[in-house]
Amino acid sequence: MSSWPAETKYISKSTPRIDAPAKLTGQARYASDIQADGWLYGMILRSKWPAAKILSVNLDKARQVPGIKAAITVKDFPQTIRFYGEEIAAVAGTSKQACLDALRAIEVQAEPRNDFVVNEDDARKENAPQVWDSRPNVSPGRSREQGTVDQAFTECAAVIEGSYSTAVQIHHPMETHGSTVSWTDEGVTAWASTQGISAVRDGMAGALELDHSQVRVITEFMGGGFGAKQSAGIEGVLAARLSREARAPVRLMLTRFDNSLAVGNRPSSFQKIKIGALADGTLHAFEMNAYGTPGINGGANIPAPYIYRIPNTRVNQSTVLVNAGPSCAFRAPDHPPASFGMESAMDDLAVKLGMDPLEFRLKNDSNEIRQREYKLGAEKFGWKEKYQKPGSSAGPVKTGIGCAGAAWPAGGASRRTQGDAQINPDGSIEFRLGVQDIGTGTKTVIAVVAAEMLGLKPEQITVKTGDTNYPPGPTSGGSTTCASISPTVYDICANALQQLQTQGGIADARGDNWFAACKKLGVTPLVVHGQWQQGLSSSPAYGVQFAEVAVDTETGLVTVKKVVAVHDCGLIIDKLTTESQINGGVIMGMGYALYEERVMDDLSGVVLNPNFETYKLAGIADVPEIEIVLINMPERGVIGIGEPATVPTAAAIGNAVANAIGARVGSLPITPAKILAALGKVPPFTASKS
Amino acid sequence: MKAFEYATALSTDSARELVAGHGAYLAGGNDLLGLLKDYLVPGPDILVNIKSLPDLNKIESGAKHWILGALVTVGQIENSAEIKTAFPGLHEAASEIASQQIRNVATVGGNLAQHSRCWYFRHRDTVCLKKNGDLCYARNGENRYHSLFTGNDCISPVVSSLAVIFAALDATAVVLRDGRETRMSIAELYQTAWKTTTAHNSLNPGDLILRVEIPTVRSRSAYLQASDKHAFDWALVSCAAAAEVADGKLKSPRVVLGGISPVPHQVGAANSFLDGKTLDDATASKAADMILAGATPLEHNGYKVPMAHALIRRALLKLKA
Repeated sequence: MSSWPAETKYISKSTPRIDAPAKLTGQARYASDIQADGWLYGMILRSKWPAAKILSVNLDKARQVPGIKAAITVKDFPQTIRFYGEEIAAVAGTSKQACLDALRAIEVQAEPRNDFVVNEDDARKENAPQVWDSRPNVSPGRSREQGTVDQAFTECAAVIEGSYSTAVQIHHPMETHGSTVSWTDEGVTAWASTQGISAVRDGMAGALELDHSQVRVITEFMGGGFGAKQSAGIEGVLAARLSREARAPVRLMLTRFDNSLAVGNRPSSFQKIKIGALADGTLHAFEMNAYGTPGINGGANIPAPYIYRIPNTRVNQSTVLVNAGPSCAFRAPDHPPASFGMESAMDDLAVKLGMDPLEFRLKNDSNEIRQREYKLGAEKFGWKEKYQKPGSSAGPVKTGIGCAGAAWPAGGASRRTQGDAQINPDGSIEFRLGVQDIGTGTKTVIAVVAAEMLGLKPEQITVKTGDTNYPPGPTSGGSTTCASISPTVYDICANALQQLQTQGGIADARGDNWFAACKKLGVTPLVVHGQWQQGLSSSPAYGVQFAEVAVDTETGLVTVKKVVAVHDCGLIIDKLTTESQINGGVIMGMGYALYEERVMDDLSGVVLNPNFETYKLAGIADVPEIEIVLINMPERGVIGIGEPATVPTAAAIGNAVANAIGARVGSLPITPAKILAALGKVPPFTASKS
Repeated sequence: MKAFEYATALSTDSARELVAGHGAYLAGGNDLLGLLKDYLVPGPDILVNIKSLPDLNKIESGAKHWILGALVTVGQIENSAEIKTAFPGLHEAASEIASQQIRNVATVGGNLAQHSRCWYFRHRDTVCLKKNGDLCYARNGENRYHSLFTGNDCISPVVSSLAVIFAALDATAVVLRDGRETRMSIAELYQTAWKTTTAHNSLNPGDLILRVEIPTVRSRSAYLQASDKHAFDWALVSCAAAAEVADGKLKSPRVVLGGISPVPHQVGAANSFLDGKTLDDATASKAADMILAGATPLEHNGYKVPMAHALIRRALLKLKA
């Protein structure tokens, strides 16, 4: 079986991104930079009602707007609208302004409905408006029971009950969703901002009733994807249809407003947790009743009691549908809310037991890798020196610390991953893989592995990705990309060396012998194929994080001072890009902890914060010092890191806040308003009818 | 947005004539373009660029008062070492506004004249009271960012940070109205918003803020704001305090709050109470009680009461330093 080299020159070391100069100088062309010959702007008309029946749509006046080349409807009529922002029609034209004017000129005949519901608690009520005629709003989710739960609680020395909730988080990559699509007689070419070029090709071909071979998808650079860019999307198919009608390429990138409504989200969660431990601190009984909303469809289940094994466990959960945009995969789906609920309850129970929360975890978390990570992280963080009893630091600005653990069990790799390399007689080599680099450093990973295997330097490797004309690669989801392509590149290199050596009669074509070996090819380049090989990657990944915060108990402002993130991902390919993933994960987790929240209006049913003014994201002034501690485990092979890095951050920050102020803010995001409320400083509200 | 003509005015008179009831003045454009793009206000037929008006981009110091032209940028204020010395609270307020890029182009006039940030007003698909609708969605809805005080049915608060510190410094806005210079206190500049749902200040169509005059009688000033985030975020509550301090006693103190009322919130009785007092925690706290007396929290904005209380105390105690 294949195995990674024991001694390495590039693998597990720090190699700057090979495309950093292109990105820094603006040479890199992202999906939203593509300017195909004669391209048009595309835009979407969205429902201004959260629930309505669209009887008809008249596009005549829109088509008459100067510059408009195409106008289409999304569906046949009558169309049932189930959330604010649902797509109704689309236009393409020579300017953004022409499209905006055309959208306003579209005549929509509709019967708006008042029986909609956007709030989870209202949607659960018996006589709540139904989101779908065909099914109830509430559907039972993953529930289970083991042991004798009620009996077990009576055996506990300490039991706490708490309510923990997390808000709907919206997908907001720097680059919005969208693509430029050109539909000609030869077929369709899409330059897409996507995490899965193959999935976009197949999906688009299906929606447009074309052969897969008639659709080509190109993603040279894209501005971030966190789970919601795995398919062609409605906007991609609309761009293609507009292109066919206009007979010109159409660039349809969503606006930030669009992106706030319909591209998917992380469901909310409302977790009522009861948890108990024996006198020695051993977890003994657990009960959770939880629900959450994904929007009009999707699921809101979370794993519970997350990373802990508790002999007596009862879990009841349900998904509640509301009239809001649907959910979709979001960086470590289900895990951050699960981590927040469970790890908050763990700390609350530790306080009740009078135990140090870290000791409490070491006692109850049987995972050996996390045990190592907790000990290593505690040392770096100075846990022992910093830990104080909750709320005990002096002065109005109180400091506190917290920690939390993560697992990312999905992981793994796509076994179908393939790739080619063309080796030229001059020794230059080009890798072609139908994978996309979503910003994680995939191209660099390919160069690092190839350089290591061939005894070359990363800058000597040419890497081509992001084109469905190349051999098929994985969708970048589930933190699988690195573990899919690294073994594939390994195999390509092994095949290349073997053929070079055989053809040239050379014992070892690597390193110093490389150019001589290539020269022996004569005038014909060598093209080799490779595919994913077993034994070079695995899963899962684990991780723990520690957070230190300062909380102004008079203004409620939370400042995250430091995060220590301890993670493993098997064999580290490139230390720099690995650390970059963890930095990003921590920052995103921090936004989830303190700022991010989709706010819906009950009365009008609209999303109230479809912009970065009030959908708040962590900015550089909010970001703490992040210390990353990596455990390199070559023996486990390559494992992805993108998702586990964001899982425990919110829980660790939430616990640090609770430790600082001596009160639990059980609801994300932890805003100044909630801090002041938890401290009992907010006067009670008495509704007055005026 | 609606199509418009564009002209550059070289004198205040020509600016006024060009705007003439159907146009809008364009300076930094931060607020105006947002309003136009989202069709939140009737689109003007003409945008009149006033950035070339002479002398309105200067900070002039003086023995009795300083003059800030309406085109002085927030960044100019932030970067002026003289202002930092003479009016530290003004420097602090300017530094907290938006982002560096916005501060570089945002002007004094534009900051004072900016429209409501209420998310129902700013939403393209809700027609609220402020947009001549018949309902305030915020009152029984998502009102975490809204007012504790109001004299009308609209509860969107004033968000101009400069208005708050200017009010504390007892500044005067000089406005070109109907061809004549009209002097307004900051309270007067906003008072119409107190009673009128559709107003966010007292300016009439065609009015042009020319400059702000700041008396030098208060050598101590401070501005603090509390936000959800550490930078580039609106104030949930802002507070400015200014006074002369002699022998440890306050003279002519002013405390003003933003984010809790449609107008810069100031309580005369509290200012009088503080006059002549030596500052300590108890005095500051008493003043805060007076300033916040009568606050009417809604379902989600009650936190602003303790937050404002803390900011008032801290801003006042900063005057001692």
